[in-house]
Amino acid sequence: MAVPVVTAPPRQALPDRRRRTRLWSVLAAPGIAWLAAFFLFPLYVVLCIVFGQIDPLFRTPIPVWNPLQWDPTQFTYVLTHIVGENGVYGQAILRTFIYVMVASALCLLIAFPVSYYVARLSGKRRGLLLALLIAPFWISYMMRMFAWVNLLQDDGLFNKMLSLGGLFTPDVKWLTGQPVVVILGLVYGYVPYMILPLYAGLDRLSTPMLEASRDLGADRLSSFRRVTLPLCRPTIVAALLLTCLPMLGDYFTNDMLSASPKTTMVGNLINDGVQAPGQTGQAGAFVMLVFLIALLPMLYYLRSVTRGSEVAS
Amino acid sequence: MPVPNGPHGHGPTRRQFLTRAAILAASAPTLGAFLAACSKPGQSSGTPTMTLASPDHPVKWDIADDNKPIADGLAPEKGATLKIYNYADYLSPQAMKSFEDKYGIKIEVSTFNDGDEAITKLRSGVDFDIYNANYTEISRLVGGKLVRPLNHSYIPDIKNVWPSFTNPWYDQEWRYSVPYTIYTTGIGWRTDQVPADIGALKNPYESLWDPQYKGKTAVIDDFHTAMAMVLLKQGITDINTSSQADLKMVGEQLQALVKATSPKVTITMYNDLPAGQMGLAQMWSGDIINAQSYLPEGTGPEILRYWFPADGKGMVDNDMLVTLRGGKNPVLAHLFINHMLNPDVAKENFSAIGYQPPQNTITPDSLVAEEFIPENLRSAIVKPEYFDTGYRLLELDAANETAWRNVWQAFNAGGS
Amino acid sequence: MRGPVSWWNNPWRPPRFLIAITIGYLLWSLLPVLIAVLYSFNSGRSRTTWQGFSTRWYWGDQTLSVWHNDALHTALLQTLKLGLIATLITVPLGTLFAIGIDRWRGRLPNGANFLMLLSFVLPEVLLAVALLFVITTVAVPVQLGTTAQVVGLVTFQVSYPAVLVRARLATIGPQYEEAAMDLGASPLAALRRIIVPMLLPAIFASTVLVFADVIDDFVLVRYLSGDASTEPVSVKIYNTARAAPTPALNALATLLLFAALAAVVIGFLVYRRMTRGDNTADRGLGGFTGEA
Repeated sequence: MAVPVVTAPPRQALPDRRRRTRLWSVLAAPGIAWLAAFFLFPLYVVLCIVFGQIDPLFRTPIPVWNPLQWDPTQFTYVLTHIVGENGVYGQAILRTFIYVMVASALCLLIAFPVSYYVARLSGKRRGLLLALLIAPFWISYMMRMFAWVNLLQDDGLFNKMLSLGGLFTPDVKWLTGQPVVVILGLVYGYVPYMILPLYAGLDRLSTPMLEASRDLGADRLSSFRRVTLPLCRPTIVAALLLTCLPMLGDYFTNDMLSASPKTTMVGNLINDGVQAPGQTGQAGAFVMLVFLIALLPMLYYLRSVTRGSEVAS
Repeated sequence: MPVPNGPHGHGPTRRQFLTRAAILAASAPTLGAFLAACSKPGQSSGTPTMTLASPDHPVKWDIADDNKPIADGLAPEKGATLKIYNYADYLSPQAMKSFEDKYGIKIEVSTFNDGDEAITKLRSGVDFDIYNANYTEISRLVGGKLVRPLNHSYIPDIKNVWPSFTNPWYDQEWRYSVPYTIYTTGIGWRTDQVPADIGALKNPYESLWDPQYKGKTAVIDDFHTAMAMVLLKQGITDINTSSQADLKMVGEQLQALVKATSPKVTITMYNDLPAGQMGLAQMWSGDIINAQSYLPEGTGPEILRYWFPADGKGMVDNDMLVTLRGGKNPVLAHLFINHMLNPDVAKENFSAIGYQPPQNTITPDSLVAEEFIPENLRSAIVKPEYFDTGYRLLELDAANETAWRNVWQAFNAGGS
Repeated sequence: MRGPVSWWNNPWRPPRFLIAITIGYLLWSLLPVLIAVLYSFNSGRSRTTWQGFSTRWYWGDQTLSVWHNDALHTALLQTLKLGLIATLITVPLGTLFAIGIDRWRGRLPNGANFLMLLSFVLPEVLLAVALLFVITTVAVPVQLGTTAQVVGLVTFQVSYPAVLVRARLATIGPQYEEAAMDLGASPLAALRRIIVPMLLPAIFASTVLVFADVIDDFVLVRYLSGDASTEPVSVKIYNTARAAPTPALNALATLLLFAALAAVVIGFLVYRRMTRGDNTADRGLGGFTGEA
């Protein structure tokens, strides 16, 4: 995503400016209204349900609209059950963090060399390579996971390869409760989302600066470490955010690759609880928690971007 | 907060700030009232208690004035699409096709994974015609006015089912439901992965906790079914208990289960066991029979086994079909239910989905005589005597169900 | 002298390590999918053992193939329907939003911009659950089904065209517009006759990308679906993969893959045609995807 360039303030007289502001506000109004109605309002409804009541017969949630009448029982239930002697959710939340961090780190380790090569060093084959890199975007995510389910089945190609054509039978059930499989599934699914922003950022690095460091005597590794890497830091941060945050809500990777409580993620807690009678509020509380956890890095990123945009890059 | 003044300043002026705050304070209560008026009607049920049926306390449901059965002798709707809401792979395609051809209509099947998901969709107003229900939901279904009472004149084939089902304890005078399938919940395994004879063990349920089967086991993804099995394993026969101590014990046993064998939690045993993804699982009797058709080529059905207590002291249940109030084709719905009660259709359905229908013509002896069920799976046949001695999963009251679900959620989160 | 040591240490050598990683990644990324596509042509029921070539899962098999199975049909149609409707709403909405926000100064537009970026990175399940709550508890005239799915998809995707158009606006800069206004055009006319044509490549690119993204969406459409006729292909794959899948599922996913690929290829070719004389646009794939 490009950082918007700050333009110089217009030099026209005031009335024109006010007139034009009205034009822009009219143009932006439908978008703002849509976001307010279908993004902000639903988030408020989530709050109303988390702090609301439960119907005694159906145990479905009854939202309470007036903030003064909010009942924090369900929210405190979730909070008190995270750590401590009642801590049943703590493990799932911790596990999610670990999976997401490991998966993001692996994504970065894979995506960075690939995008570096394609952005800077691939020359004539750049277009073709870029097309191949973008291809996973348009292959259904479900199909990509499904492909792996096929491969990891008991009689799938993976086991066939491992057994080296029948020399010995591997006794591991890949599709039941293997954290490694879930992490690799996450990596497989989200790596394309990291490659594109990295490619864009690396593409924009100024070649003269990199060549200068080589000219001044640094070898490849040192030049990379001391010049290239610091220059790409904002790109890497942006790419990490773009991949990390959506991963926090992932539940279907775990569902498809391992239907076991051993690898439950926060997304599964949300998904299982939303339609279970009496537990919808708890699912909503998890939604709130994930939202807050995702919000903070976004705020930090936005502040660093707006501060950075005041210095021309 | 110190703010520079002026229309081109960065912050609001004090006047602007106060004005905005005043507007917000004034509008908050009216906003609340406005939103309250916008709430969907029928959110809270009004009745604080629900009627819980059990074999000792049979229930005859009321027929409300605004929910009367359809009139007699109506013609079936033409050119319609009958919408059935059911589990996946739980209705024979051939049975549906024969009904479609007979009346010149189309059938559309939507699937759900569990009853809670289904009820949420039903309450949100999706217009299905027929729903595959379980009697653990019937109080909610009738109390929430989601189901339509049946007009018995359209369903003469009820005479083909076991007589006890024309006046079951959960729906006396069969006002709302007809039985669909009967099944037991036991343990299924395949001999190539689990050579031991699980059925001969002193406590076959214990085998799921046996570390030698680590990674090969599975339990059913339903809180009541799985937790009831734990209770039975410990010798507690009240599988609808509200005892705190019992529930705590179940929670601990489930944690031990994860540590010992790390089971899969699913309802697709009928596919996963034959595919080899598990070797030993808590299963429904219909699943093990159905599993025969999912075996890969080259593997015969003789490796499948099933165990259920021979004295019938295990979990016995039945599923039902109900017609939904929101459905647009009530006459067709009645006719379809009647169609499924026809002995030939029921038999064909049995061979397609593996679950036994409570038909008078399908007795354990006839199944054995016709070799419909292979020798190694005879224990999966449901005998009428089981219904006298077996334990049923009943509908729980609100507080108890919350307690049960909390234990299950802790298990599912894989925590502590 | 061309010994192995000097081959290894040649200062003009191509970056072999990076090439190896790239090729390895491409294989790892695309092979499983190619295998899945291959097995959609399997003549047997298995998705893991090759039993011969046949097109039975596409149109041959009388009950289970994509052509004959109504459920799979409906899924494909629903996917395409959602793709079209959602894209038609998202792109104009996002484009106007981007143009307006870009020029408008103040806290409201900054807040709106932040909200838009937030909707871009938030996990989809949050939005899906929130919208489900709204539909089931607030008396809105929307039921679970296609309308709800479209609303969710547009909300989730609106940031895509917004970001692409903003990036393009930043590259264009203010000079064309100011020149037009110096020559007497009103701001609206300048917008309509100068800026929008220059934005067309970005708008078009975002159309294609939003379409490809929507037909692939899973979480939102599953939560907001009504009955089976509103379940698109991704939900069908998920439901069936956990039960008893046949290669017809592979066939369905392959068909969808070709649809997405066709859309993108056509889109890219049109993009190149549109930017034929434009010097400010990046005419490569990078510019197409908005990453330049």
